[in-house]
Amino acid sequence: MTGSVSITRRLVVTVLVLELISAVALIVAITVHERHVQLKAFDASLVATAESLMGAVQDTEDEGDNVMLDMRGVQVAQDAAFRVEDERGRLLGSAGEPPRFEMPSSEAPTFREVDVGSRRYRFLVLQALRIVDPGKPNGGIRHRITLVYGIPDGHVWHEVFEAVRFFAMATAILLGITAAVMAWLVRKGLSPVYELAREAELINPSDWHFKAPISAKKTAELRPLAIALEVALARLQRSFEQQKRFTNDAAHELKTDVAIVKSSLQLLSMRQRTVEEYIRGLVVSLDDFTRLESTVQKMLTLARLEQPTPDDREKLLESCSLRDVIEDAVHQSKPLAELKAIAVSFDFNAEARVPINSHDALLLCSNILLNALQHSPNGATVRIAMEGTQETARLKVEDQGEGISEEDRAYIFEPFYRGDPSRSRKSGGTGLGLSICKAICEKAGGSIEMVNNPAGGALVTVNLPAEPLEPVSISSASVKVQ
Amino acid sequence: MRVLLIEDEQRLAENMVAALRESGLAVDHAADGEAGSHFAEQGVYDAIVLDLMLPRKSGLRVLQDLRRDKFHTPVLILTAQEGKESVVNLLNAGADDYLGKPFDLGELLARIKALIRRAKGVSTPVLAISDLELDTVQQTVRRRGQFLDLSPTEYRILEYLMHRPRAVVSQQELLEHLYDFDWEHHSNVIEAHISNLRRKLNLAGAEPLIETLRHRGYRLRKDLPAS
Repeated sequence: MTGSVSITRRLVVTVLVLELISAVALIVAITVHERHVQLKAFDASLVATAESLMGAVQDTEDEGDNVMLDMRGVQVAQDAAFRVEDERGRLLGSAGEPPRFEMPSSEAPTFREVDVGSRRYRFLVLQALRIVDPGKPNGGIRHRITLVYGIPDGHVWHEVFEAVRFFAMATAILLGITAAVMAWLVRKGLSPVYELAREAELINPSDWHFKAPISAKKTAELRPLAIALEVALARLQRSFEQQKRFTNDAAHELKTDVAIVKSSLQLLSMRQRTVEEYIRGLVVSLDDFTRLESTVQKMLTLARLEQPTPDDREKLLESCSLRDVIEDAVHQSKPLAELKAIAVSFDFNAEARVPINSHDALLLCSNILLNALQHSPNGATVRIAMEGTQETARLKVEDQGEGISEEDRAYIFEPFYRGDPSRSRKSGGTGLGLSICKAICEKAGGSIEMVNNPAGGALVTVNLPAEPLEPVSISSASVKVQ
Repeated sequence: MRVLLIEDEQRLAENMVAALRESGLAVDHAADGEAGSHFAEQGVYDAIVLDLMLPRKSGLRVLQDLRRDKFHTPVLILTAQEGKESVVNLLNAGADDYLGKPFDLGELLARIKALIRRAKGVSTPVLAISDLELDTVQQTVRRRGQFLDLSPTEYRILEYLMHRPRAVVSQQELLEHLYDFDWEHHSNVIEAHISNLRRKLNLAGAEPLIETLRHRGYRLRKDLPAS
């Protein structure tokens, strides 16, 4: 695959490069050190041989006070070159062809490196005083002896090269072993990644179950990924199941409504009927059809509300006065309230603009209000209260109905959920009203909840973010619809 | 014939009850699973139409309880659920037939009638005993090729008797199977209908078809001497 990056390869190469750099540095250091050590040893042997040569300079047996070189007992290397002269330039002894050096002023031994023929030599130039007959009264005759002694230094470099070669070989072997071990270790260390991948590969739409392998959970670096995967998948699975349930419920609901419309029309056409029967049948069929239409309408509304808004700012642009909307909702529900002789009172302690468009806000308020009216006994009272702070607006709707049971509470906002299924259809709900309310509230960044009022009946509380307004002094108003 | 409809959807149930009654069946309606179970356990129904999604007690439970208690009434399931699997489960649980919502009312009636027929051991919609023919689809009766004009109740009594030839059918049984709870019924009503039926069936020179067995009931004679 082009452009892919292998962690294994990258790690191994990094380690090998580092190891190689340190090996090179080590070899350089070893070369310097080895050369130094070898030269020191070389020089020491040069000095020792030169000293013994110097020691071999002795008094001659003749009358003059000359000196000579007695080579007996002196061992010089085969390829050594040396020359021993006295102060008058008389050659006492030599071997090879040592070059002539400018004599140093001091007596300290000096080293020189010179090519002789094709070989490189290292020479020691040594000056020493020889006194012939030191016991004589004149103190003897002094002779200044100059000695040049050298041997080829190829040996030194050979030793250094050998040492470097040994280290280089060792390094190469070490690099090879490291590469192999690293590759194996890294691959082994990464095996939880492969296991995690294998497990993740098994996920498909029909089987969302995912359990991260233990190896992945035991690996500190992988644990966050494994846990994140598990959590994300569990969430997806939940939402997938919710969608599936919704689809099933919606299908059931639609099929039932269609079945009603269809059976009404088929019943009508089963045999010849009177005009009155046909008219009545058509009216009933139209009612049935209206209910089907309203179910579809509500499903579409819910789908629209649950669609994420592409731009959050867009929805903030739309806002409406909660008070106006509540008044509209009360007005709209007037016929039902009158039918059931229910008094609707409202109490405004604040005014607020909420970030919902007026259509949705009206839907929210009238759904809550209709729900309260439907669950209230005839002649009861429904109380609406609105209060607010700078940031939030709160709407409370209380009814005097039978309240909600504890097991229903968790599901009351679920689509198509009905507290008591046997009653539902008769009261005309599709089971979507409260889901739509919840979707509207959540889209606006608010919340909705339903609890039982201690005094009896249900209490719906809606909390919405509000856009602050100038405080308006509105006296509490009470309207009674009879 | 008397049918029990267990369906929680009020409007759908109203339509189905009306259609079933118009096709000559007596119908009782239960709006939830528990009431349905109680109705069904009386054992007076010739067929049961059962919705699956019911409040209080699911349709499947109603069916399982019925079969466990050895009620062999044919059951037709109404379902809005998708999937072959649930159909297989239903049939294995003792259902005799099923229909998916939204269904065709005509098909529902045909299937119910077919279920009733089969449960009574008849395989065609036209019942014939000697020279008497009863068409359960057209709801017509002919004797010796001649159409007889029967009232709905007379037709239903005859249909019931023809489904059980040679068996003695008591007045009580007729009452149970021909009338639903909405009807005011007394046994002397049956007597009156039977006597009318007898009169209409009696063509000149033909043998009487319906026998009366004192304190026991009525019987349709099957083997008439060839006239």
